[in-house]
Amino acid sequence: MDIKRFMVATALSAVVLVGFEYFLPQQNHKTVEQQAPAPAPVTAAADGAASPAAEPAAKPDAPDPRVTIDAGRVGGSLDLRGARLDDLVLKNYHETVKDGSPLVRVLEPRGEEQPNLVEVGWTNVSGGQVRVPDANTIWTADHEKLTEAQPVTLSWDNGQGQVFQIAIAIDQNYMFSVTQKVVNHGGEGVSLYPFSRVERGYTPVETGGYLVHEGPISVIDHRLDESSYKSLRKGAVPPGNIAWSKSGQGGWAGITDKYWLAAVIPQQDSDVAANYAFLSQGGDKGIYDVGFTARAPLVVAAGGEASTESHVFAGAKEVPLLEKYEASLHIPDFWKAVDFGWFAFLTRPIFTVLDWLNTMLGNFGLALMAFTLLVKALFFPLATKQFHSMGKMRQLQPKIKALRERYKDDQMALNQQMIGLYKQEGVNPASGCLPMLLQIPVFWCLYKDLYVTIEMRHAPFFGWIHDLSAFDPTNIFTLFGLIPWDPAVISPMLQLGLWPMAFGLTMFIQQKLNPAPSVDPAQQKMFQFMPIIFTFFMARQPAGLVIYYCWNNLLTMLQQTVIQRRMNTKAAATSQPKLPAGKK
Amino acid sequence: MSTSSISLPAHVLRAMIRAYQLVIRPIWGAHCRFSPSCSHYARDAIALHGAGRGSVLAGWRILRCNPWNAGGHDPVPGTACGCGMQNSKSLAGR
Repeated sequence: MDIKRFMVATALSAVVLVGFEYFLPQQNHKTVEQQAPAPAPVTAAADGAASPAAEPAAKPDAPDPRVTIDAGRVGGSLDLRGARLDDLVLKNYHETVKDGSPLVRVLEPRGEEQPNLVEVGWTNVSGGQVRVPDANTIWTADHEKLTEAQPVTLSWDNGQGQVFQIAIAIDQNYMFSVTQKVVNHGGEGVSLYPFSRVERGYTPVETGGYLVHEGPISVIDHRLDESSYKSLRKGAVPPGNIAWSKSGQGGWAGITDKYWLAAVIPQQDSDVAANYAFLSQGGDKGIYDVGFTARAPLVVAAGGEASTESHVFAGAKEVPLLEKYEASLHIPDFWKAVDFGWFAFLTRPIFTVLDWLNTMLGNFGLALMAFTLLVKALFFPLATKQFHSMGKMRQLQPKIKALRERYKDDQMALNQQMIGLYKQEGVNPASGCLPMLLQIPVFWCLYKDLYVTIEMRHAPFFGWIHDLSAFDPTNIFTLFGLIPWDPAVISPMLQLGLWPMAFGLTMFIQQKLNPAPSVDPAQQKMFQFMPIIFTFFMARQPAGLVIYYCWNNLLTMLQQTVIQRRMNTKAAATSQPKLPAGKK
Repeated sequence: MSTSSISLPAHVLRAMIRAYQLVIRPIWGAHCRFSPSCSHYARDAIALHGAGRGSVLAGWRILRCNPWNAGGHDPVPGTACGCGMQNSKSLAGR
């Protein structure tokens, strides 16, 4: 029976491990697999109402005129053909931790490998005949360069009495302010729907698995919508190609990666419709389109002018920055661009504490360790109580041994006798379910924070850890680089770094210090394998998590040693061997 | 205990607890201070009192399962005392 149960437990543990491998995201931080070049330049005629009536564009012979963008943390350019914001790199972020790694590119023009761009414009009301700018319109700019200090205004005269203007400004981070203006010199009033949209011309490889959302994202009427590329593909049917629409007041919408976001943000008091569209180019290839169209037309009287304002975010999802924008620009729930998950009420405050500790200590690894100290202090009474009862248990060991000897053939009777003994002595060997459960949320939140927040990306620690959010790169199966081979060829399980090994050691010692209270020998045997199984499991988790756990175990051991020493000296001082133990 | 008359949510919850008992508990180890253990208590409570009230009872039991509580025998309210058989059965099922 015991053997059978032991086998079952082992098999099930294996299932858990394999399950984790399957469901959790790949921990590789390779750059996204490069897509095949898009076939010819494409037009995103998502829908007549959502985007300008764009006729297929022929690839221009000469390169398009462009306005250079050079601001505090971004650089790139703006295509004057179609007034597209389609070329932007982040000055502070590199693709990998290697020296000389290229900067992260968040926006890329159509026709390149990974097109991702933002476009603003106007569409006609139904039956309207106004000649609106389209994807091939060549705009003129009043300045050659867009900087923090120098906004740029693009303008285009449609030759029928209307002049269209797009004024673009950028702050020191990732936020563009856009003012769309129509000046009507004509004899009749015109009505137009302003729109703004994010377009992604390729299907990215989703690295986040089930842990972090990547794809179309929006908050409209305070409702967060995190959809998948797949649902967009499935839902979009010709001719409209619109997968779904949502109406509301203000909000924001865009397409997000794990760390980067391109989003359009309409004026928050305006009534808008958010459209999600996909223009298929066969299979999974195609153009994703997420954007806003005003629900009430902008009416420009004859001889008058009218304008609308909006914002465009293109950059890294830094939590404090998103919070700052949320407050200053009144963007509802902008922090939700970072996928803190269902337990955001816990994950986010913990991140805030970690981030604050990081600014104090200058290193996220140290911040993690300081945070662990805080958690330990918080649970100190719980642990103290628990170790006291463990100490008492140790004093009972001779009696327990005697019982084991006497009832070794009758498990049930042994159980009864042990319970009787515990009751008589007023001790309980188990720490309880609550302390166990309390550890889970903390662990989970750290995991999630390490995994989703850009602050942890490429965050270094001492020695060989250059990225706390990636697994420990050292590997004993290559003798730490002495043998030039890749054990992952045989199995990804052949990965065991120094920190995970240190973790396994602390877990092993801790287990020796605290023999499991279980009386079931099969389970006892199972426990002995736990440090090994856990070590291999942790070897593939973010290094920050392993360091947290290691440090946590060390602190626990320290705490236990101190408490026990104090108990022993107390016991020696009072030395009243015959008195029954107290009620506690 | 009869499981024929319990609702679908109760069935789902009980199945989830069973999965925990089979998969996760062998990894974490048993830490319960009570008998029957919290997970057995939860299964029994949900079977007897339904998904809603059963879950509340189970939650309250887990909150009590801490080092300040002496632990010991603590059957689901409403069950017959069952001090002998049920107790040892729950333990044997660990």
